[in-house]
Amino acid sequence: MNAFAYVRPKDLDSALSLIRSTPKARFLAGGTNLLDLWKMGVEQPDTLIDINRLGLSQIAELPDGGGLSIGALARNSDVATHSLVTERYPVLSQALLAGASPQLRNAATVGGNLMQRTRCYYFYDPNFPCCNKRDPGSGCGALNGFNRIHAILGQSDQCIATNPSDMCVALAALEAKIHITGPSGERVIAIADFHRLPGEQPELDTTLRPDELITAVDLPAPADTKHNLYLKIRDRSSFAFALVSAAIVLGIGEGQITSARIALGGVAHKPWRVPEAEAMLQGVKPDRATFEKVADRLLQGAHAYRYNQYKIPLARNVVVRGLLAASA
Amino acid sequence: MAMPDNPTVIGTPRQRVDGKAKVTGAAIYAADVKTDGIANAYLIQSTLASGRVIEIDQSQAEKMPGVFAILTQRNAPKLQPLPEELSANGLPGESRLPFQDDRVYYQGQHLGVVIAETFEQARDAAASVRVRYQPGELRTDLEGFAQQAIEPRLALGRIKLQDKRGDVDWVWANMPQDRLVDAVYSTPIENHNPIEPGAALAIWEDQDHLTLHVSTRGVDLTQRVLAAAFGLLIQNVRVICPFIGGHFGSKGFSWSYFIVAAAAARLINRPVRLVLTRSQMFDSMGQRARTVQSFGLAADETGKLAALKHSTLTHSSMVYQYTEPAGALTRLLYACPNIQINHRLVQLNYTTPCPMRAPGEAPGIFALESAMDELAIKLNLDPLELRLRNHADKDDSEQKPWSSKHLKECYDHGASKFGWSSRNPHPASARDKDGRLVGWGMATAIYPARQEPAAARITLANDGSVVVQSATHEAGTGTYTAMTQFVSENLGVPMEQVRFELGDTQFPHAPVNGGSFLTASVAPAVTAACNNLRDKLISLALDGPAAPFTGVARGDLVLADGRISTQKKSLPPMALADVLSKTNNQQLVAEGEAGPGDAYQKFAFYSFGAVFVEVRVDPDFGEVRVARVVGVYDVGKIINPMLARSQLLGGITFGIGMALMEGTIPDIPTGRIVNSNLSEYHVPVSTDVPPEFTIEFLDIPDPNMADSGARGLGEIGIVGTPAAVANAIYHATGKRIRDLPITPDKLVGV
Ligand SMILES: Cc1cc2nc3c(=O)[nH]c(=O)nc-3n(C[C@H](O)[C@H](O)[C@H](O)COP(=O)(O)OP(=O)(O)OC[C@H]3O[C@@H](n4cnc5c(N)ncnc54)[C@H](O)[C@@H]3O)c2cc1C
Repeated sequence: MNAFAYVRPKDLDSALSLIRSTPKARFLAGGTNLLDLWKMGVEQPDTLIDINRLGLSQIAELPDGGGLSIGALARNSDVATHSLVTERYPVLSQALLAGASPQLRNAATVGGNLMQRTRCYYFYDPNFPCCNKRDPGSGCGALNGFNRIHAILGQSDQCIATNPSDMCVALAALEAKIHITGPSGERVIAIADFHRLPGEQPELDTTLRPDELITAVDLPAPADTKHNLYLKIRDRSSFAFALVSAAIVLGIGEGQITSARIALGGVAHKPWRVPEAEAMLQGVKPDRATFEKVADRLLQGAHAYRYNQYKIPLARNVVVRGLLAASA
Repeated sequence: MAMPDNPTVIGTPRQRVDGKAKVTGAAIYAADVKTDGIANAYLIQSTLASGRVIEIDQSQAEKMPGVFAILTQRNAPKLQPLPEELSANGLPGESRLPFQDDRVYYQGQHLGVVIAETFEQARDAAASVRVRYQPGELRTDLEGFAQQAIEPRLALGRIKLQDKRGDVDWVWANMPQDRLVDAVYSTPIENHNPIEPGAALAIWEDQDHLTLHVSTRGVDLTQRVLAAAFGLLIQNVRVICPFIGGHFGSKGFSWSYFIVAAAAARLINRPVRLVLTRSQMFDSMGQRARTVQSFGLAADETGKLAALKHSTLTHSSMVYQYTEPAGALTRLLYACPNIQINHRLVQLNYTTPCPMRAPGEAPGIFALESAMDELAIKLNLDPLELRLRNHADKDDSEQKPWSSKHLKECYDHGASKFGWSSRNPHPASARDKDGRLVGWGMATAIYPARQEPAAARITLANDGSVVVQSATHEAGTGTYTAMTQFVSENLGVPMEQVRFELGDTQFPHAPVNGGSFLTASVAPAVTAACNNLRDKLISLALDGPAAPFTGVARGDLVLADGRISTQKKSLPPMALADVLSKTNNQQLVAEGEAGPGDAYQKFAFYSFGAVFVEVRVDPDFGEVRVARVVGVYDVGKIINPMLARSQLLGGITFGIGMALMEGTIPDIPTGRIVNSNLSEYHVPVSTDVPPEFTIEFLDIPDPNMADSGARGLGEIGIVGTPAAVANAIYHATGKRIRDLPITPDKLVGV
């Protein structure tokens, strides 16, 4: 771990001007991902800009009536247990509580969670010679290595890593909007456009620019709070990343599905949604046969490697069971 | 042995005497020791699995803040090769000493060490060191190199690895297919992962005197290794370890890091602390090797085993031949006239393996007890019934009677506690209210018992305090508490008055902490020391001008409640301390020794158990949860039921981890471990511990074990449990998984 400077700005403008003037700086939120990566030598910031004093940890109703704004520095544990979240967005609360451990959730923030990096072994340990995400052009160690936790959808031959976040899967299904402030002012990115597929540039996880700061995440007013859930499959009963997960948000009226959003975790470089699959649910009555077709559509084009073949049937089962449970 | 005067301490539940010190942080572990001028060291490790070092470029590191020195092959002291008895056979570990040549045999091998003011400075400097290599032939694929396997004769210098009796081949050729099981079982590399990492603080008083504070389960052994490597007189090396934060087999032996700490301290003439990181715990202190075990079982029409063949393929490092003795107990667990046991060892570019909790037994009995389950299904017999029909009434491998065996009672008692008789034999026949498949499985547990030579010294002071010393170890199992109970019982002094001291080479010799033989070895020495002290004390009380009990017969004196008294004469009881004062003694010292007697030649000593498990399997997701465990154990006398239960709770949970999640995964193209951290190397978390957990002990003293009749119970919990879980999964799903761990990917869509 290299020597570094530590600064704790008190307002947004100073934080932004600091990041502009020190390109090798990193924002410090909960530190639960950054510090691990740093100790491993994956990250080597020369300056740490602690953003915990920026006053960005509010959880408040939006003026639009019904929506919610969550500050980028709100702790994962505070979000998960906030009454507005448990009442209106149970899928988000469930996703957060399914992640990490209580101690980590107490420290981890919404902004940090959005930005957390893949748990691909070949990325995490710089002593592995090949990782295009860490060291562009060096190859992909996972392709012919131990790829049990890797992607089956949307990957490229440059990178088969997955996004490990549970929260982001729920945010994808809730169609959250990410509020960002940068040198040219504020902008909003839809969650679907926030994380990237690896393509030819696996080193870029997101569309956030290096000199931008996430300030808040907005959730639109929920249509239906009953028919949504988060389902996570993992190697032990707690404190393990998802092998596959799904966030399902349905609207149901008079026995019919009126709206459907399904996001999958653990299968791709970003939370995986397929609008065509969701459209198949529009106006139909919940039933297993339909759900199986939806699952097949969601997984269309899936490609597995030596050790992650199981993810295709597992993801299919997760979708079907998730839809059955959410629509019950 | 004299009858104890206070026979109420042994066998009763007692809180840990060191519990408060541990939970308040008062217990000092190796990395906590403070002294003036400590420098901190951080290892430079190989990032190549095979080859030679061409150059270690440390130019940048040398200039970094806080760096005192960098030790590599270039400036390393010439170390003396370890003598035969510390390296070959017997003692696993790295008999190859650090920094003596340029060869690289595995990823993570220690190539050098940076010594700096702070740990962070040393780590930062170590990260800037660049090593150039000449790569060599890479051997990382066990099956790929199987044809180069050797057939070692013994493991640990005493466990038979190749054995046969009868004619297995004839039976095999003549047995109908429907009474045969022929299957391959495999277990992954596993790492011990005690919560306390390896840690050493080396202090040289002068060029000839070394003190090492180190987390080790063998202070005496570590002392011999250091004395040999540095050419020191054995009495000039002191090794201290009052607490171990767990080891499960890893600490002890001749691992490089503590030798490096000593060499580093000598180089800079300051105390040097070297603490391993979690990741280094995966490559610097041993691991359980992977096993691939081929099993052949044949049974006659009555369900009796006719032939058993067990062939294990496993690996060691390029620098040491340690063989995981997976087949050792297949030779004797069941009665079977025709047996063939074989072990094949391949040397690979992985770190040196060593024993890990129940070495051999844990993976071997997983395979045997899975194969027995498969045979029961083939024969249409209840799995428990099959085991009863094949009960071994003696140890057929050595033709010896069991010293004490109550396995049938374990089966009986466990089955009734569990409700086994209501089991529906058909797999995939039960579901719970959540739609998960429910399965029941069982397995036999077995673990050998042993006694090793040990000694203890006891000192009674005239303030009434009793201090007992022995160079044994406290790994969190309860040595301090159990030994205090023995002293209390034998001398009739309250436990609070007794202080047991351990983990110091200045104390009388005790064996390494392993093989579940600590209590069976050390307690008899403690008892002997107590008896000697008591004889001396009674002599003081009876003989001499100032003796307070003159005229009383020896046999009429009783030690109880910290006092000496007699019923025969109207003399008031006297505190032990007062006996010393009255007779003008500051203190009274006695020593005691014990070691295995003739019984060890005559009998076979084993502990047994039966473990019953209920699992729930999600058929869509393949997630397995253990819902219920009943384990009944015959481990001899129970010294402290509270500690004993903790050992089995931990052991069985360890077994659940082995069954469902543990595994160290090497990357085959590089030989580097992919999951050398506790985020990705999964051990059970609290919610993986079954909600219903029943542990019972028969508590029948072994008449031929010295002293109390305790056989030991540190390891037996992990034996049997993995197979019971796998068998329950088969019963739940109808799918047999023969490759551990049984993670969801292996069961999706059953
Ligand atoms: C052992 C372990 C287990 C875990 N298990 C799970 C799990 O099961 N599921 C799961 O989803 N997660 C899991 N996590 C990951 C955890 O959720 C993340 O580490 C956490 O959410 C990161 O948040 P943080 O605030 O600590 O981020 P930090 O570590 O502080 O920051 C992470 C990155 O985000 C950047 N950043 C932070 N805030 C902002 C901002 N406002 N704007 C721009 N950039 C920002 C930082 O500069 C840094 O690069 C686990 C982590 C650990 C260590």
